[in-house]
Amino acid sequence: MTKLFYSRLAATNIQKNRRTYLPFLLTCTFTVSMYYMITSLSQNPGLDKMLGSDVLRYTLSLGGWVTAIFSAIFLFYTNSFLIKRRKKEFGLFNILGMEKKHLAKVIALETLYVAVISLALGLGLGVLLEKLLFLVLLKMFETAIPLGFSPSLSAVFMTLALFGAIFLLIFLNTLRQIRVSSPIELLHSGNVGEREPKTRWIMAVLGAISLGAGYYISVTTKNPVAAMGLFFVAVLLVIIGTYLLFTAGSIALLKSMRKNKRFYYTSKHFTSVSGMLYRMKQNAVGLANICILSTAVLVMVSSTLSMWMGMQGILDTRYPRELLISSRDYSQQAVSDLHRDAQQVLDSHGLQSNNAFEYTYLTFSLLEQGDTFTTGGADTSSAKMLSSMNSLRNLFFVTLEDYNRVTGQHQSLEDGEVLLYSNRESYPHDTLRVFDTTFTVKQRVDDFPGNGFMAANIASSHFLVVKDLSVIQQLDSWQKAAYGENASDIKLYWGFDLTGSPQQKIAFYEDLQTTLHEREFEGALECRSEAKQSFVSLYGGLFFIGVFLGLLFTVAAILIIYYKQVSEGYDDRERFVIMQQVGMSHSEVRRSIHSQIMTVFFLPLITAGIHIAFAFPVITRLLAVFSLTDVGLFALCTVGTFLAFGLLYALIYGLTAKVYYRIVRT
Amino acid sequence: MSVLEVRGLKKVYTTRFGGSRVQALSDVSFSVDQGEYVAIMGESGSGKTTLLNILAALDKPSGGTVLLGGRDLSGISEREIAAFRRDNLGFVFQDFNLLDTFSLQDNIFLPLVLAGKRYGEMARRLQPLAAQLGIAGILHKYPYEVSGGQKQRAAVCRALITSPQLVLADEPTGALDSRAADSLLDLFGQINRAGQTILMVTHSTKAASHAGRVLFIKDGQVFHQLYRGENTSRQMFEKISDTLTVIATGGDRRD
Repeated sequence: MTKLFYSRLAATNIQKNRRTYLPFLLTCTFTVSMYYMITSLSQNPGLDKMLGSDVLRYTLSLGGWVTAIFSAIFLFYTNSFLIKRRKKEFGLFNILGMEKKHLAKVIALETLYVAVISLALGLGLGVLLEKLLFLVLLKMFETAIPLGFSPSLSAVFMTLALFGAIFLLIFLNTLRQIRVSSPIELLHSGNVGEREPKTRWIMAVLGAISLGAGYYISVTTKNPVAAMGLFFVAVLLVIIGTYLLFTAGSIALLKSMRKNKRFYYTSKHFTSVSGMLYRMKQNAVGLANICILSTAVLVMVSSTLSMWMGMQGILDTRYPRELLISSRDYSQQAVSDLHRDAQQVLDSHGLQSNNAFEYTYLTFSLLEQGDTFTTGGADTSSAKMLSSMNSLRNLFFVTLEDYNRVTGQHQSLEDGEVLLYSNRESYPHDTLRVFDTTFTVKQRVDDFPGNGFMAANIASSHFLVVKDLSVIQQLDSWQKAAYGENASDIKLYWGFDLTGSPQQKIAFYEDLQTTLHEREFEGALECRSEAKQSFVSLYGGLFFIGVFLGLLFTVAAILIIYYKQVSEGYDDRERFVIMQQVGMSHSEVRRSIHSQIMTVFFLPLITAGIHIAFAFPVITRLLAVFSLTDVGLFALCTVGTFLAFGLLYALIYGLTAKVYYRIVRT
Repeated sequence: MSVLEVRGLKKVYTTRFGGSRVQALSDVSFSVDQGEYVAIMGESGSGKTTLLNILAALDKPSGGTVLLGGRDLSGISEREIAAFRRDNLGFVFQDFNLLDTFSLQDNIFLPLVLAGKRYGEMARRLQPLAAQLGIAGILHKYPYEVSGGQKQRAAVCRALITSPQLVLADEPTGALDSRAADSLLDLFGQINRAGQTILMVTHSTKAASHAGRVLFIKDGQVFHQLYRGENTSRQMFEKISDTLTVIATGGDRRD
């Protein structure tokens, strides 16, 4: 009988608190299914049939980890909100004669119900949606695989273990909170007059500095290599800055609003400013959470989307022709041998080559200091390295003869003159001193053979057209002396397109590679069609994870917003009753509510927008590491993502505002 | 001149699904003159609160009329009602109903802010009133930082700052200790002598004994009324006690 009593009590408790419990159940279900899907996908045997499945598998399991950690934090957060709302109820039970061990029993049963329901629903949903997700992946990867789809048992066990542990921890945490407080405290915990927060100028200023520093790093870091290291520093600074500014800054701002008597003592601002000030301490963290989550969603989705969208472009710049061959031996003999071998293999495959180009080049890196390029000192301390990263340049040399032939121009050069093209950082001087030679820039040109080829290199490059091969050979001997074992070689670069299907092209590429390998050819071959598959699995995998985690974070942000509105609705209800008694009309109440909700909602979104705008430069540099240099495309993707997210956000606003009104009205 | 005139007021509550009907007020008529201090007494469930809600235009009567300053409350539109309430009525509640989000001063300013008054004028009105009520020194504190008596003084200040035609007080001493209650009642006397009309609903004999006239409500009707006349508070207290005893023991006396 008593056993039944507790289990029934637990069930009715959940039912009674459904306005707060239902979203929690949904959250649990959602995170369970998300975690199951990503884990199961990463273990799907069907992936093996895709090329580049290792990268994809790795990306997916990384996504699984992020999901797991995030689920734990997030479920804790939402549960603590639930407990806060229910402390009064627990206090009442306690006073009515329920001992704490009985309370613990009820809470344990409640947690068990939630766990069982959400795990069952979540896994069921996960198994259903996994199939869909797998199809999406196959579609993205343009791979036709007979559906090797099977729910993964080990993923089910992993999900059960993870969420079992999370629920257990949640239960213990609730117990701890109940245990340390007396029934009277529990009873009154709902309506403790919260002390007005103090203005903490130091924190506000620190927040502004931290945010400013993050922004500064993003805007000023020019070098992609440096950007990679500094990006996380900037992210951390911006997160700290956001939290500090939302907590301390918002209070400082609201207090200064209140000081302005003509602004404050108007019916429009009076109640909303004081209301927000009153709750800002807990409000601020929630707002900062929403802001950070929104920013994360926007960054992930926009960057991975633009990589996915720009993939073909990246491929075309990185691989200007279908087949690319570089050879260390650039003598006449070697070139004609190469041509002969390639033609033989072409014939045997029945393919045609076209659109060929060919040139000889030398490339090496130096540090740019004014108009002089040096190998730098022996100082390899990391700070020095990082700062020198910004001045590291690739120098890329070709002869005038090759340049004119490949580009179809008729330029001429005197001794010591060069044509210059720079791909990222422009070069301001008219002369360049490299080793013992000084070149004079005759003309700056717009494009260059090999530009795409060098785009993959993260350091900025200067391309120089020199008079003839002897200049290049002279430079080669100098750089060989300077760099020793790490020196580069003069190379022949030959590229051509192919007729035929991607499969035929890849077959040709593999065949040619074997042929050349047999006669100990010194050089390298690259094939665009073959490279595309690894591109797809890397960029596609990243995009997939970006959207997946984006969705997860969005749902989290939505739930935080919802819980905020609900809890504030309950708090505000009494206040608005009093205000009506004092002579506030319905429409004034409505307007005041509206202005508060608007602020709560759109402050994080606007801040996220500003974050994104400032993150734009550094992400552009980071994308350059992935060879995406199309800033326009990235800008478009960012704006598009922001608009889509904003729209979703506005939709959520409409929905939660309704819930809020309903609570305040009754 | 009568500030408030109530004629044949009825209120019937119907439960949500139209089941049982509860008659809270069956036929209440009385009037309050300018400068009067009237207490309405009755046991729990006698319809006191319903009456007060109707007088405050927070609830609508099922029948009868309420004239405030000669104006029929039922003729005021929903849009005007808040402004009307704000300008003509002051409220003092049992549990103060001060907002924790505001300092005492801002709580007092609330109706004036809603009426769109300038800060200068608000401050000008507050100064003498706060001094009279003895809260000038604590205006910048928050409700949770002061005692119950101080809270109620602030609430009285909020009710008076709009110079309303009528102050409605709902068990104003209910949540106060006896000392604070005494001092609040003295304050009400002072305010009334300065010309303010007050209508107080209470079941405290002591609170009612300070009023100039006491109306007794039973079963939704005005059952009896007592005038203070030349009586002292003490004598008034005894008369009220006697009346309450009669009511409680089921007498049916009317004079």
